[in-house]
Amino acid sequence: MNLVQGLNLLIAALLLAGIYAAMAVGMTVIYGVMKIVNLAHAGFLMLGAYFAYELFERFHIDPLLGAVLALPVFFLFGMGVHWLLVRWLPKSDTPTLASLLLMFGFWLVLQNVGYFIWGNDDRSISTPRTNFPVTVGEISVPEVKLIVFAAAVVCLIVLQLVFNRSWFGRSMRALIQNPYAAQIVGVDDARTSRLTFGLGTAFAGFAGALLGMIYSFTPEFGRPFLVRSFVIIVLGGLESVSGVALGAIVLALLETFGPQIKFHGEYILPDSLQPAISFGLLVVVLLIMPKGLSSLFTAKRRLT
Amino acid sequence: MSPEKSTSSPGRWVKALLPWLLLAVLLLLPAGNPSPNVMKLLFITAVWTTTSVAWNLLGGMAGQVSFGFAVFFGLGAYTTGILMHLGWSPYLTFLEAGAVAAIASVLIGLPTFRLRGPYFVIATIGVTEAVRVIMNNLDITGGSSGYRILETKPFNAAEHYYTAIVAVALAVAVSSLVAGSRFGLALRAIKQDQDAAADTGVNPYFAKLKVHAIAAALVGIAGGIYARRAAFFYPGDVFAFNTGISILLMPVIGGIGTVWGAVLGGVIFGMVQEQLDANFPNVHLLLYGLLLILIILFEPDGLVGLLRRAARLLRRRREDPGSKDADQVLWGRGGIAGR
Repeated sequence: MNLVQGLNLLIAALLLAGIYAAMAVGMTVIYGVMKIVNLAHAGFLMLGAYFAYELFERFHIDPLLGAVLALPVFFLFGMGVHWLLVRWLPKSDTPTLASLLLMFGFWLVLQNVGYFIWGNDDRSISTPRTNFPVTVGEISVPEVKLIVFAAAVVCLIVLQLVFNRSWFGRSMRALIQNPYAAQIVGVDDARTSRLTFGLGTAFAGFAGALLGMIYSFTPEFGRPFLVRSFVIIVLGGLESVSGVALGAIVLALLETFGPQIKFHGEYILPDSLQPAISFGLLVVVLLIMPKGLSSLFTAKRRLT
Repeated sequence: MSPEKSTSSPGRWVKALLPWLLLAVLLLLPAGNPSPNVMKLLFITAVWTTTSVAWNLLGGMAGQVSFGFAVFFGLGAYTTGILMHLGWSPYLTFLEAGAVAAIASVLIGLPTFRLRGPYFVIATIGVTEAVRVIMNNLDITGGSSGYRILETKPFNAAEHYYTAIVAVALAVAVSSLVAGSRFGLALRAIKQDQDAAADTGVNPYFAKLKVHAIAAALVGIAGGIYARRAAFFYPGDVFAFNTGISILLMPVIGGIGTVWGAVLGGVIFGMVQEQLDANFPNVHLLLYGLLLILIILFEPDGLVGLLRRAARLLRRRREDPGSKDADQVLWGRGGIAGR
């Protein structure tokens, strides 16, 4: 592997990290505020991809604009889901299996609604940009990946600003730090939870649309990304936005460079095993940091 | 369950005899010479019920919800396939399938049982996905193109059926034994409060590994039995995420924590899925998704809980507190107040 190849891979990894971060951040805010492991996240990602696809096919709306349009639409959708299902779950400091299975059941429903509407053919969004390379010297990157990366980063920055500068962000942070104290000082728990669920869903839809610009998709689309999201938020400490960015970079680097590792002249990880990296990493992270994870049940991490 | 205890002795007799009566009916069924489709339906239902009852050992009794039982089902299928290819008797390969699955369960359990609650659940999702990807790329499994079992004997639907029935009976017997034993008590203690259980002298880590291995062995046997009749299978089928989901959904729908709930869930699932799969592929998961949502929100005890409710209404008994099994699994520590 020479320098140019290495640089190419590094850039590919960073671009991947951007989209991974956008994908995982929706899961983090929901987990942080409500302690719900949102398995329906995968369903929201899938719907986001089909949302951009439908807008593109029917109305010839650019998928990037489609992704931006997904934000308000999925925000309302998420609030609806919260109103219909999530708010009935009893409050808990730690994640409950009931919430996990409820969201899982909802994911099954979303998946099958997807099958009803779109069947199980592979779909993809192909614009003139999809394969158009941007070349600088010997380094070349598909333009669509650059655009997706930029969109993801802009969105993360906006989210970070909402977190740190707005009243809503402040009440979210308060609920993450201490739900009881937050309510004593007048944070409306129900309202903030509803908005947070909407926000998390909006980001999932947005990220799904971005992913749909790069990968082909079926109604099962979200599943590998669900596990990746979980690896990322576990790596990032579960409740922090900047942790998500870090986790996304670690996972993207491993996935990009892992298949390149040679041992005695043999690739130890063939390309076909690449999807197993994130799944294996999930277990390994849980294995080598059992203390770190079990302490999450009692100790509250602060949002940064 | 205290009102049941006070029923007259004929009631108790019926309760004790019912499983044997059921078994007798199941054993006599092929004598009626049913159509091949019915035999297939009965066979599949028996296989699913075995996995459902096995899952309930870990998920219902010990309260450790796993999405990863497809791993054991798939390993059982491939063990049987590969050993039969080498000329082993099928019945020996079933035992071997159970053993392989049990060993795998220990390897998986050693790291994952360090985690609790939802983190354990998420880890099992990671494990099952990783195993499927790896199996898709191994030479010994034939990769994604699948594996074929060639038997020289003519196909005998009744033999397959009886094997599956024996597996169900074995699973139910093991479950009942565990439920009534000191070990079963330890498992229930872990479900209620792992720390308190550890304080009273139960080793939660070891107990979980043990029950995981028992459950995995049963699922492995079921996988082997399934593979022999299917004669062709591939990792995207037996190791599929959806297989793991199905194994989890059956006992949850039937009623978490009770052996007969798991049986009921398995029977209904097997029957409904075979019908739906043939006519409307993919609809069954929609149905189960909706059922799961309704069960979580309204009746955590599943169908068994519904039946209990119906029985209460009929008998106009005083409020029966019911079992707290589902509550403990779903909400943690002793259920939620005021339900």
